[in-house]
Amino acid sequence: MEGFLGGLAILVDPWVMLMVFLGTVLGIFVGALPGISGSTTIALMLPMTIAMGPIPAICFLGAIYCAANFGGSITAIMVNAPGDPSASATALEGYKMAEKGQAGLALGMSAVSSAIGGIFSIFVLIIAAPLLARAAYSFGPPEYFALAVFGLSMCAAIGGDSAVKNLIAAALGVLLATIGMDLTTGTERFAFGIDELADGIKFVPVLIGLFAVGEMLDQVVRRAEKAKIIAMDAARVPGMAEFRKCNRSIWLGSVIGTFIGALPALGATTAALIGYNETRRWSKHKEEFGKGSIEGVAGPEAANNAAVGGSMVPTLALGIPGSATTAIILAGLIVQGVRPGPHLFTEQPTLLYAVFASMLAANLFYLGLGLYMAKFFARISLVPPAILWPSVFVLSIIGAYGPDQSMGDVVIMLIAGVVGFLFRRTGFSPAPLIMGLVLGGKMEETLKQSLIIFGDDVSLFATRPIAMTLLAITAVGLLWPLFSRLWRLRVAPR
Amino acid sequence: MSFITSRRSLARLGLGAGALLAAPRLTRAQAAFPERMIEVVTHAGVGGGTDITARMMMVQAAGEFKQELVVVNRTAGSGAQALQYLASKPADGHTIILVTQTHLLTQIRNRNVPQFADLVPLVRATDDPQLVLVRRDSPFRTAADLVAAGKQRSLRFGGTHVGGVDHIAIFSFGRAAGLQQPTLVPFRGGGEIVINLVGGNTDSALVNPAEAESQLRSGELRPLLALSEKRLPGFPDLPTAKESGIDCVASTVRGFCVLKGTPEDRVARLEQGLVRAMSGPIFKTYLENTGQSPDSVVGRAEWGAQLQAFHESGREALQALGLLR
Repeated sequence: MEGFLGGLAILVDPWVMLMVFLGTVLGIFVGALPGISGSTTIALMLPMTIAMGPIPAICFLGAIYCAANFGGSITAIMVNAPGDPSASATALEGYKMAEKGQAGLALGMSAVSSAIGGIFSIFVLIIAAPLLARAAYSFGPPEYFALAVFGLSMCAAIGGDSAVKNLIAAALGVLLATIGMDLTTGTERFAFGIDELADGIKFVPVLIGLFAVGEMLDQVVRRAEKAKIIAMDAARVPGMAEFRKCNRSIWLGSVIGTFIGALPALGATTAALIGYNETRRWSKHKEEFGKGSIEGVAGPEAANNAAVGGSMVPTLALGIPGSATTAIILAGLIVQGVRPGPHLFTEQPTLLYAVFASMLAANLFYLGLGLYMAKFFARISLVPPAILWPSVFVLSIIGAYGPDQSMGDVVIMLIAGVVGFLFRRTGFSPAPLIMGLVLGGKMEETLKQSLIIFGDDVSLFATRPIAMTLLAITAVGLLWPLFSRLWRLRVAPR
Repeated sequence: MSFITSRRSLARLGLGAGALLAAPRLTRAQAAFPERMIEVVTHAGVGGGTDITARMMMVQAAGEFKQELVVVNRTAGSGAQALQYLASKPADGHTIILVTQTHLLTQIRNRNVPQFADLVPLVRATDDPQLVLVRRDSPFRTAADLVAAGKQRSLRFGGTHVGGVDHIAIFSFGRAAGLQQPTLVPFRGGGEIVINLVGGNTDSALVNPAEAESQLRSGELRPLLALSEKRLPGFPDLPTAKESGIDCVASTVRGFCVLKGTPEDRVARLEQGLVRAMSGPIFKTYLENTGQSPDSVVGRAEWGAQLQAFHESGREALQALGLLR
């Protein structure tokens, strides 16, 4: 209790709060720019924080992490260029909303649901971190395999014109995921001796290409059409009616995000995609999805920000990072002489609760900033396309080059852009492709790991209750439409 | 708003590029080495353990050389692109590469990159011995139990990808201990290896102490052997493999090299400067806090010998594993 109060005391420490505020502003800023992710920023800031002392340093880095995840949604919604991979699900519905002139609604909902998701996960972290951390040990390759199958099972339902097109796009994504070094054989697949392909296709260039450049090319083709900007509505922020509508999506996203974030091998991007799937599955307005559903913004945004708190669970409680960003925060903690692990909760509770309190503060800061600035950001949709899209294109090139300083990624981004354009013209959606790329690689890898662990005996999956439960849920989800039709036929013959 | 900010950052990028271009300005007369910014190329992404090692070195090296240092991340191809980047620069000591065992394996498997013989070792930065770990309730109470069981069946060891550094270490350990060839369960990185060992999906793993620190402290994992030359200061009661009659040493090493053809006086200057920079308090604290050996930093003689030894044992292991074409 003393530790708890000691931790909360930082909320009235002006120096720490200034750091949290600066971290939040910086985080929103870099999160919004494709190519400069939260993790890059934290890595670059790390040497500067050494002199700060552990608490302000960790609070500063934590604030960047929280806010960057939210910032990614701004560019996703406004120009269809996810500033952070985790915002790709947000772009699916958010950009459609902006096109309809509802940018302010989408931005406002993103800020609110992000903050709720983030705060929810922090409370879970405070109450159940050591407990939840144990779950990480029960998740081995067979469980991750089942989870990936569960995530992929929805891919026919989301996105484009028809289920067949969605399956084709998803299969393409799974195929792309096989490129690069194969963990279990140590050989390169489909790399054709090109070094840039040896480590596989990275998400960021594909996302930027599919969304932003694909959209730009599409705009070029449509430039003869009259611009249909509905300026009146652009700056309106969400009200009670919208919150009521999204209530369920936000909570669903928060729970899914926290749990998936807490699993060390999966991060905010997967959380957002599965959050999007489940939001759609449980929505009362399924018909709005793909056309700019506000629930489709709320669910994944709550999920990817909840994953932030979630990924701190294994980082702090096990010393095992739950994401690329927490890996760097972990390095920051270690450099400060803080050793994460279960003992942290008993030996240094003040530090721990200070981290929680600062993350809470960061979430509130970006909620305020996000709602306040939504009106201004929303005006981007009023910028004439002739100015807006060339800027976005330049941003896209930097965004693809930035993370690994690789021209190969720029080429991949451009190719993905053409694919994105063709997709738009032919009624395909990038959503299933991304799911295939993100989850397909995980699925193949974990299946092969499972088989090595099981000595190539598939029946041993039956000895893993968590995996079997997930697979059973997947099977029910897939077969449900069939059963319900059969049932109806039986109840009402003819 | 956002696109305006993007332009601003563009402008900044432009300024940065300008500074980069201006950097190799003409020097008057015989300028002292280094005469301009030193590039440190690494195969690690920003924020990876190897990247952080480079950045920690740089904190005090800038003052030592009176020049800026900058990290260049060339991540593709397990070091292949980093090596190619090095080779694309003149051998004048202004480009140094952070080499790990991964680079040596990439060189053995890929003849199209600069080979081991094309590198001149400078200094070692970190040396992180590995431990043989089992989980708390493992039937293997001692190293002898593990060895005995490993002679009956193929044990499952967690490690990084097939043909990677861990695979070589596990293979060498198995051979030195007379085990049936162990089965590698490949994972992405130390965190997953540790989790799956605790979770019971593998029998054992070779892990750096810092990677499993929390689990070692809580007793969820038990060390059986240290794969170091001497006993480790953090584990005074833990026997080394050599003491137990298993001739196997395995550690994760990182250090610096330059391209062959770099003038000898510059190699000596770099060696001296880097050793001094990494003997400073900041790098010392970094080594201590990350649980790496305090004797990590050594000059080129010892570092070169270690690389040479790994180059040979790595080739042999890859051949025996059938991974060399």
